[in-house]
Amino acid sequence: MIEMNKTLGIGSKRARLLGTIVLLVLAVVLPLIFGMNLYLLTILVLMIIFIIYASSWNFLTYTGQGSLGHAAFFGLGGYASALIANASGLSPYITIFMGGGAAALVGLFIGVICVRLKEWFLAMVTFGFAIIIQTLIVSQFAAVSGGWDGIAAPRLVPSTIPNYQLIGYYSIVLIAVLVILLFWIILKSKIGLAFAAIRENEMEARAAGIDPVRYRLFAFLVSAYFSGVAGALEIHNLGYITPEIFGVDISFWPIVYSISGGLGTLAGPIVGTIVITVLWDGLLMLGITYARFVIIGVLLVLIIIFLPKGLISLPENVKEFIGKIRRSS
Amino acid sequence: MAGGVDIVLQVLIWGLYAGCIYILLATGLNLIFGVMKVVNFAHGELLMLGAYITFTFYALSGWNPYVLLAASVPLLILVGIIIERLCFRPILGTGKLNEIFISIGLIYIVQNAAALVWTDEWRIIHSPYEKITISVLGVNMPLDYLIIIITTTLILVFLHLFLRRTRTGKAMRATSQNRNGAMLTGINVERMDMLSFGIGAGLAGAAGTLWVVSGQVFNPYMGSIPAIKAFAIVILGGLGSIPGAIIGGLIYGIAENFAIFTLGGAWKDAISFIILILVLIVRPTGIFGESAE
Repeated sequence: MIEMNKTLGIGSKRARLLGTIVLLVLAVVLPLIFGMNLYLLTILVLMIIFIIYASSWNFLTYTGQGSLGHAAFFGLGGYASALIANASGLSPYITIFMGGGAAALVGLFIGVICVRLKEWFLAMVTFGFAIIIQTLIVSQFAAVSGGWDGIAAPRLVPSTIPNYQLIGYYSIVLIAVLVILLFWIILKSKIGLAFAAIRENEMEARAAGIDPVRYRLFAFLVSAYFSGVAGALEIHNLGYITPEIFGVDISFWPIVYSISGGLGTLAGPIVGTIVITVLWDGLLMLGITYARFVIIGVLLVLIIIFLPKGLISLPENVKEFIGKIRRSS
Repeated sequence: MAGGVDIVLQVLIWGLYAGCIYILLATGLNLIFGVMKVVNFAHGELLMLGAYITFTFYALSGWNPYVLLAASVPLLILVGIIIERLCFRPILGTGKLNEIFISIGLIYIVQNAAALVWTDEWRIIHSPYEKITISVLGVNMPLDYLIIIITTTLILVFLHLFLRRTRTGKAMRATSQNRNGAMLTGINVERMDMLSFGIGAGLAGAAGTLWVVSGQVFNPYMGSIPAIKAFAIVILGGLGSIPGAIIGGLIYGIAENFAIFTLGGAWKDAISFIILILVLIVRPTGIFGESAE
């Protein structure tokens, strides 16, 4: 049971259930309140896409792996989905899942190379793959990809349908809920236990008959697939895609979100994405631009040093702190 | 065929010059890794700071930019010491992923603080010698490249003498070989951490000055790619091995310039990772990997 709590999140069962319900209600109600405000709706859509993306990135950390180049999958999912949709005329609702497939295929290839690598090496190689794929897209595949100019992609919901933005928003929310539900099911199953065993002690896991390479590869595949789906959603939401989608910042955002929320928990990337997005766009409204990055960077450093389990452990830490003060007084 | 030889020589000279910048970065990373066993992914931001410090002092004083090494190196040593004390010391020994993550935080802070101070425009300054070229075996070589190669060599010789001949340098090497053993002999290992980080940052500052005087453009976000390449060199040459960094840096600079010449400029950054990935497929722990674990 203790192991289970570790995989699924920190806090009591009731608190988690309550948190989930509050978030879901907010996700449904917020656009109805701000429905008229296009700016806020755009931020919400992006935030939910990044929740899928950050959760997929975080899925990798359950096996003790990390990636500095997830933009590779995010971008590949986007490009594949846009190209398929443009060529076949299929609805983006279908092509996003094909885009994820393309990302997963490349993910499998990268994963085969990466599963045996550790920490810095893994970080470097994943980072490198994002740059190699970007280079390929702008040079060798420029004829199909449009080079640095990029290509147009059909909207998730055609703008001819009334309320198309709201329909788009709710379908993205639904996809996010399903993806996180799927992660939850996987992590609750035997696979989740095997992940934890590999992360905590690879040798013992091997002795218990768990093949770390197979599970790591599986984690890589799932993570790449849903990062690709998130990327596809993003570009069908924007309506175009350029190679900037492979940029370093796109690789770093899910890391920032997951760390600030809490690594290796389901709630972490969700909480992290929401908090950082609110902070990020709040600061922009105050007219702060470059300093936003500095503030996020400082926050990240402070969280890593003082809150290694992320923001979701903040309530517990505060409780402990208050307890300490009471005991001492 | 004479033309072919000329081109090969030309590319070699470019590679040698590019290698110098990478060597300074990689040596710094290795020094820090050797002593602290941490990897500073934000090393390129120190190069960028070195470049801007040179730029600012040059704009203010108009002195020969090479002299400004005397400003960029000490200032970066100071920055390095501050970063080590505030960011890396608290997380020492809490897991290798944390070092990577804290570096990402540092990258955000330094890049954008620099953008606030200096704006994100691309900048360039002109070396007083930029128009002078000298002939090496029939190929024209900018005088600046020669000065940069000599300066790098001098810096490395000084570093070598410091590590081999001085008491502090020896203590630093002892810490790098065996931290607990060094502690037992009364070496203040935390001071060695601070010093190694400072010197590593100083070397990055020197690389920044050399980057600027060679007439390359720079902006606050330019540091990441050279740093990642330096890190690739560190992996290729062996973690913690300074001779490995020097040889790796030279091979790397030359290989990169040959790749640009044959495949085209778009491949400049990607080629480094292809080399790295190929090496790691064959040797998952790097060329001299055993000593790293």
